[in-house]
Amino acid sequence: MPRTVLIVDDHAGFRASARRLLEANGFEVVGEAADGQSGIASARNLKPDLVLLDIQLPDLDGFAVAAEIASSGDSPPAIVLTSTRSAAEFGGLVVESGALGFVPKSELSGRALRDLIA
Amino acid sequence: MPRGVNLLDDPPTWLLWLTGLAGLAAGMATVPLLLDNQRVEVGPAFATLALLSGWSYIGGGIVAWRQRPSSRIGLLMVAVGFAWAASAASLSSQPTVFIIGVAIGNVSTVLLFQLLLTFPDGRLRTRNERMLAGAAWVSGLVLQLPTLLFQAFPDPDLCVNCPSNPILLVDSPTATELLGLLQAVIAVPAVLGLIVLLIRRWKGASDAQRGTYAPVLWSGGVVLLLVALQLTGLVFGLNDVASGAIVPLILVAFLLVPFAFLAGLLRTHLSREMAVSRLLARLRELSVEGGELRDLLAEALGDPSLELGYWFPPVSGYVDQDGRPLDLVQEESDRYLSVVESKERRIAVLVCDPALARQTQLVDAVGAAAALALENERLEAELRARVAELRASRIRIVEGADAERRRLERDLHDGAQQQLVVSALSLRMARDSLATDPAGAAALLDQAATDLDLATSELRELARGIHPAVLSDRGLGAGLQALADRTPLTVELSEPPAGRFPAGVEAAAYYLVAEALTNVARYAEASRVRIAVIHRDSCLEVTVDDDGVGGADPADGSGLRGLSDRVSALDGQFEVLSPPGEGTTVRAVIPCAS
Repeated sequence: MPRTVLIVDDHAGFRASARRLLEANGFEVVGEAADGQSGIASARNLKPDLVLLDIQLPDLDGFAVAAEIASSGDSPPAIVLTSTRSAAEFGGLVVESGALGFVPKSELSGRALRDLIA
Repeated sequence: MPRGVNLLDDPPTWLLWLTGLAGLAAGMATVPLLLDNQRVEVGPAFATLALLSGWSYIGGGIVAWRQRPSSRIGLLMVAVGFAWAASAASLSSQPTVFIIGVAIGNVSTVLLFQLLLTFPDGRLRTRNERMLAGAAWVSGLVLQLPTLLFQAFPDPDLCVNCPSNPILLVDSPTATELLGLLQAVIAVPAVLGLIVLLIRRWKGASDAQRGTYAPVLWSGGVVLLLVALQLTGLVFGLNDVASGAIVPLILVAFLLVPFAFLAGLLRTHLSREMAVSRLLARLRELSVEGGELRDLLAEALGDPSLELGYWFPPVSGYVDQDGRPLDLVQEESDRYLSVVESKERRIAVLVCDPALARQTQLVDAVGAAAALALENERLEAELRARVAELRASRIRIVEGADAERRRLERDLHDGAQQQLVVSALSLRMARDSLATDPAGAAALLDQAATDLDLATSELRELARGIHPAVLSDRGLGAGLQALADRTPLTVELSEPPAGRFPAGVEAAAYYLVAEALTNVARYAEASRVRIAVIHRDSCLEVTVDDDGVGGADPADGSGLRGLSDRVSALDGQFEVLSPPGEGTTVRAVIPCAS
């Protein structure tokens, strides 16, 4: 059961909220990153089990970051993409990027994550 | 214009008569000197020649002065005649009169030099021309005077039975030789320089112009060359040869110049009449359009490089045939510009070859003949320019609206939407932990409430950016006060006009002040901003000025450009005055007829 999580999102409020939610659901948040570049770097350094990755990032496209993380190292972390926008806007891009799945931010919950991971 | 100048430019008949009588008198005064003098044997032939020369210059000069008042050639010719008459004083036996005659003896030649230099309009225009004229005057007059301080008369080489020199300081042949050498050293290159300049002018002239130049240049040129020859001869001591052979030649050539000039004048007059009447005939029979008008005018002027500019009032400048702005103060700054006006309204400008600067009357006549056709072309060009500007501003407005929407979406997404998502998460977590951890759930609910407040204020800001409610509800004064309150700068807001104005006008004024304040806060490094709105002549005048660094350019950022479009869409006027280092003033005048 994946335990460690890296949160990559440029909104500090959401990072704090997500951290609370994840910790209340038994996950351990090992790091936070506010943009794509530092997200890639943190994923490489901290080797979390899971990365919660916002698609709208200030410097890079979330899908590009996901592809980068998914193809790095021996056992790359599982990636869950998230956004304030709806899944319909992204179509097949989620799967193509190598991410595990997509959760809209407003529906983020422990169960949603566990359903994806399982 | 001072009255004195008018007298010269538009000589009244009495002045011409007066000059003529003075010339007659001057000539008569020289007769006793010529025939009765003790020094030189002057035969009746020579005397007649000399007298005729003087009178020809004065008479020809008067004719020229009357016919071509805008040209100074006439006056120069008259001056040559009088100077020539005055130089007869050197034949006198009276020492004072004699020395004066010798002192100014070269002035007529110098004036002839200047005449050739500035033919046909009599004015010194370029630096080269001024330098050459200066050289001639220095050599002919300025250096002549000190020479006389050291030249003893009578002199065995120059004149044996002339009276003594009353202003002799010290008899120094060395000094006089040196000064004389200096005079020659300046004069000969000056004459050569003049010849070169005249040849260059000849090369650049059209056939019609050459017909005008030829007689004067040939005769005048011959005179000057002979004078230069004589000077060279004097320097090398070939006195007798010089005097004996050259002087009569010089006199004959000198006499021919005014007649040559009158011949050239007649030719010009005729060819100009022909050019203009040809042009008028063509304009009358064809309906001229497009580039044809330019071609017709170019042909009438003999200038294939002619360009036309049409007056476009909205920008207070000229545009070309397609309505594109014409920049006249450019590399072609030596082109001759002639403005065509009708009933005191500017119509067009003729951008001509620099050589036409000497033929102002021809250019004026052509411009006047074509005024009607030019006005038609001008209206078409103005129409095209306005259409082009409208098209461009429409595109800018649409693009501006799209950019504005994109910005809104981004602001909503990054701000309010994120806050709401976070609130939703907090609420869900509170729900989940309600049973197991009521205290924690309560804390989460408090958090959610705070986040919702933040979201609300984000939305409020956004809404104000979309449209400021205070403006619609309470009017321009309240709206501007709200802007002034929100900005970190020190603002002096003067009392705005009472009452309401059309919504579009109020909005334009509001956004102008908002944008101006944003720019001041961002770029101006100012300490004070003044906002003034005045209702005057059924227009709203909005002015924002600051004491910052200046240097704002509406062409740079789209903010000021968008304001300019908005103001001109309301038929108003918008201007930005921002000299670097002197602060910025943004002003709009918006009609609000209701």
